[in-house]
Amino acid sequence: MARRGVGTWVRESVWEIPLRRYLALLVTAALVTGLVFGVRTLMHEDRSCAPGVSRPADSDECVGVATGSYDFEHAQLRDVVRAIARENDRLKPGSYVTVALMLPYSSTAATNLNDIQHQLQGAYLAQYQANHDANGEAPAIRLVLANPGATGDHWEQTVDQLARMTTSADRLRAVAGIGQSTDNNKKAVQALTRRGIPVVGSSITADDLANGQGGKDPYPGLARVSPTNTDEARALASFAKVSAGKALLVYDKPGDPYTRTLQESFAALIKGSPYEPQPFTPPADRSKEGTTANTFRQITHLVCDTSRETDTILFAGRHTQLRQFINALGGRGCQDRKFTVLTGDEASYLTHERDLDRDALRHHLSVRYTSLAHPDAWAKDPAKTGGSAADFGVLQRLLTAAERKPSGPIGSVALDDGQLIIGYDALQLAVHGIREAVPDGRNVPSLADVGLQWPQVKGSLRVSGASGWICLDVHGNPYDKAVPIVELTPEGGSRFVKIAWPEEKPPAKECLPPS
Amino acid sequence: MVHRRLHGRGALFDVDPAGLAPRLVGLRPHQHRGHPFEHPGELPFVVLTGARGLGKSAVLAELRDAYKGHTPVALIDCAEPQFAGPPAERPAESWSPVAQALLVIAEQLAAPVTGAGRITFPRLMSGLVAVAASGWGDADSERIRREVERILLLNESGSWVSGLAGRWAGKVAAKVVAAATGTGPLVSGAIEATLESVAEGFTSRRHQKASVWYRTYPNAGGHAQRGLMLLAEHFRAGGTSREHAERYLVRALLADLTEAYAGVLPRMQRLGRPLVLIDDAQTAPGPGLVEAVLSDRAQGITDQVVFVAARRGEGRGELRSAVRRELPEVARRSGWTPDAAPSSRALLVALAPLSPDDTLHIVGAVCDDVPVPPQLPHATHRLTGGNPLGIALLAESAAQNRAGSLGELLTADVRLDEDHDASPAYQALLDRLVPAEHLDELTVLAAAHDHDSACALAAALLPDTFGPADVRALRTRLAEEGLPTVPGQFVGDPFVRTLLLLRLHLRDPDHASWRTAHETLIAHYPEPGQARYRLHHELALGNTESAVAELRDTFHTADIRTWLRTLRFVASAPYFHAHDADGRDFTGHGDRRAAVALGRTDAGQEPPEGADAVLHLRVRRLLHAVWQLGDPLVLPDPKVCDRLRFELEQLSNLRPAGNALLWRASRDWPAAALAGRPMADPGDPEDTDDGPDDRSGEA
Repeated sequence: MARRGVGTWVRESVWEIPLRRYLALLVTAALVTGLVFGVRTLMHEDRSCAPGVSRPADSDECVGVATGSYDFEHAQLRDVVRAIARENDRLKPGSYVTVALMLPYSSTAATNLNDIQHQLQGAYLAQYQANHDANGEAPAIRLVLANPGATGDHWEQTVDQLARMTTSADRLRAVAGIGQSTDNNKKAVQALTRRGIPVVGSSITADDLANGQGGKDPYPGLARVSPTNTDEARALASFAKVSAGKALLVYDKPGDPYTRTLQESFAALIKGSPYEPQPFTPPADRSKEGTTANTFRQITHLVCDTSRETDTILFAGRHTQLRQFINALGGRGCQDRKFTVLTGDEASYLTHERDLDRDALRHHLSVRYTSLAHPDAWAKDPAKTGGSAADFGVLQRLLTAAERKPSGPIGSVALDDGQLIIGYDALQLAVHGIREAVPDGRNVPSLADVGLQWPQVKGSLRVSGASGWICLDVHGNPYDKAVPIVELTPEGGSRFVKIAWPEEKPPAKECLPPS
Repeated sequence: MVHRRLHGRGALFDVDPAGLAPRLVGLRPHQHRGHPFEHPGELPFVVLTGARGLGKSAVLAELRDAYKGHTPVALIDCAEPQFAGPPAERPAESWSPVAQALLVIAEQLAAPVTGAGRITFPRLMSGLVAVAASGWGDADSERIRREVERILLLNESGSWVSGLAGRWAGKVAAKVVAAATGTGPLVSGAIEATLESVAEGFTSRRHQKASVWYRTYPNAGGHAQRGLMLLAEHFRAGGTSREHAERYLVRALLADLTEAYAGVLPRMQRLGRPLVLIDDAQTAPGPGLVEAVLSDRAQGITDQVVFVAARRGEGRGELRSAVRRELPEVARRSGWTPDAAPSSRALLVALAPLSPDDTLHIVGAVCDDVPVPPQLPHATHRLTGGNPLGIALLAESAAQNRAGSLGELLTADVRLDEDHDASPAYQALLDRLVPAEHLDELTVLAAAHDHDSACALAAALLPDTFGPADVRALRTRLAEEGLPTVPGQFVGDPFVRTLLLLRLHLRDPDHASWRTAHETLIAHYPEPGQARYRLHHELALGNTESAVAELRDTFHTADIRTWLRTLRFVASAPYFHAHDADGRDFTGHGDRRAAVALGRTDAGQEPPEGADAVLHLRVRRLLHAVWQLGDPLVLPDPKVCDRLRFELEQLSNLRPAGNALLWRASRDWPAAALAGRPMADPGDPEDTDDGPDDRSGEA
């Protein structure tokens, strides 16, 4: 037999004997299956990161909806994520609805991460309060983290996942957060609202990521906590008394929804200015440095060339470019001239920015901006309406409790960038909508009913947020929301200046938007 | 004589298209590959027939080698001493050839094959134990243990539980021995112990089924134990009762085999059918086995076992209605369909002699590195008539002794295997081709032409006890052995006859027996009409004168066809030894016939007075030429052939009336002689003539 070939052996000692043939076929099939799986495992590494979160085929980012205790590999987020997971695990199945906080968790930029951490902390505190301090109101709130990617590129996957969760046992009833007013976020909000998922924007300020612009409602079911850029610009204008001859506009070209609306609002304020608005073109990812620093140095020369009465620079751009611009202004030739840079809420990112040349702020340069919220707002500016120190005090008590168990720890806390406050308010608004939509005798609202609650949030049904009253108009935009004006300090922080109002004065006690 | 494959047996072993063996067994020879069955339902009991030396045993051995390890194979030779009688100490009432054969067959069939494990024979085991138990009346326990353990091994499955089974066998043996040596009824005790142990030791459904198989034994009344008792009783009784019991034992073996092939798992493990080969089936236990299988199959108790038996002779008596085929006929299809008679379930296949081509191949294979004359294969074929044993042995002799004439090859010593002494080739051949007990008688009677001449020879050369009745008996025996019966020859097969005559010639140093035999026959044919016989034997003694005279004198008067026939018959006389002019032994080498035929001795010849001198010399040359060229032991000499042609041409001129025949012979005979063919009547290739001696010219 040894002389015979392997083929003969296989043919005669295996194939010809049915029992061995079938066994051999079984073994071969098993081996092939094993091999296929092995090769597939080797060729395609495991792309999942955590429950609900995976890496898309063309990316290393973990995107999707994290339903478990996943911190997107940021130690900074660990404590709060664990606190949320603890709170979620405590909930009995069937007793809760889910709210997703959609933010670019996989971002690596330190400023973004601060922002995310703070919003998440705020959202968690709102969840905790809703589940513990609300007289057992139903339903309980489960909070999950939805990540569309650092730049929102993978919003489609995340939105699909969120849409599936509305019909599953998750019972997703609202998406909060969204963050910056970028094109991807705009598409994501459009997709979400088209599928009937209510969205509560936290720090969205762009005008075109809002309803009611030009009389149209492109995002049915979208509610916002922050005022639009237009409102911010109006508040800023009412505060600064800017006039055409005294101000120079520097803007992002082509810009994104946030910068464009800010630019348009500023341009409207200084209509007829003798100075041509100065554009700069940043990289597509606006958290990257790019080559704009050179552009700003040139603009600095222009600034010095203006007439001496010009003391205001209106900046319509994102925070990285703002930082570059401030640093450039720090080295301007005309150090003797006093300038005030006015910009939108993006400047709040610079509060803790290490790359900011703070020395520039000591040389006749002040940077004032509209903040989404500020911890000192109600303490220093006790208005009778539009918000109160008491409302803010609720948040502070929650914060104090969260320093230890059971609600804490939630990591290091900073309030002066306003993100925590705005995150808290956004989720509060979502919870408000959900609980208002619960039909009598049941404890879970239908998805469609939640979005229908937004126009009712006014008058006595307003949400008394920590950042001020949230009264929504029929388009889901806040009416005459308090806009804290804040100034960057050379010491590395921000100083509250004053509350400004888009309508030049606080809303009436009824807080009813004019029709 | 180690051949890788058999020559000339393609009708049995061919693969593509398939021969008989793969079509019946369902496996390709020497391969583990299935082949469709020709008879998927009932299959024929194949019996190979033929005389000794036709390669029946070789075919069976080749069948065993071809299928061993691929499907269960058993090969028994009924002529073996183990089947001749019971071993010492064993009483005949508990032993029979059939029972012994079944034990041996089952032992061989049990061996594992590719893809499947051992076969167990619980039914046969029980039956054999019951039969053997009859003989333990006064046996010592050691013998009983030995016998019973051998039988119990039939139930050895050889699987991973073999350790368990081994213990089981020991336990049963102890139980049986205890029962047999203790008091009480012996047989029933042993049977009870066996049955109990079978039922106890194996709990599988298969074994349960086996343990109750004997329930159906006639009159058993549904009790397996009683069935076995009756079986043992019948066996002990002998005669037809024993045959009945033996048939039941055969049925047990077949049932065990059927069981081994039944079920899903065995069908997925085993290819083809089991194969049982029975050599020398004409002797016991062969007929018993054959009869038992055939009668069961005729009764509809079917099995799927391929039986191939080999027997000498055609078995006209026992297998009267069997389907008979020549070997080439079954090469593609057997055409076998049974009818009601049991013997019609047998398919008798007569093994054919080998062809000249096969002879060429065998000689070429054996004499691989020995130069042989180119004519040797053809001459060998002419001498042996295609007898495989003759061809192989002659080729072996040629290889061992360097080639010479066939006569030299036959008388030369040849050593067939390491263990045996060398003996002359013709002796070795006769040992295997002729029944040994009749060799001496046949040696003498081979010279005879018919019963009367044989009786004359027997009276002259054989002991008085060997009378005409014995002559007839011997003739019948030869016919039973399968040797052809040919009118005009006592021993029909020319090859065997030649060997026997050679033995007669060499029996005495002075050829006394040889001379006596031929002189007796010369005296036996005194009539003028019997001249050809007389002359034939005179020529055998070396006396050519009267033959030349007779042929010369009748040339002008006799019918030329008769004359040519007489010439061939006379010249067919054996010529084993060189003779001198006076017929005495000639010590020198060389063949004087060639010298005479070529006219080299004509000068010394004195034609008798009054005779045509030219014709005398021509007839003399012609006679010697035909004598030499017709001699099966001599390689044809082309020069003598030429001379033969010339002489016949010359004669044809002398007889215008027979011109055509003589001229035809002048063309045909030399060609036939050169080609190694017998010289036939001119223009009559098939030799269909009516003469009683027409085939003798071929010898």
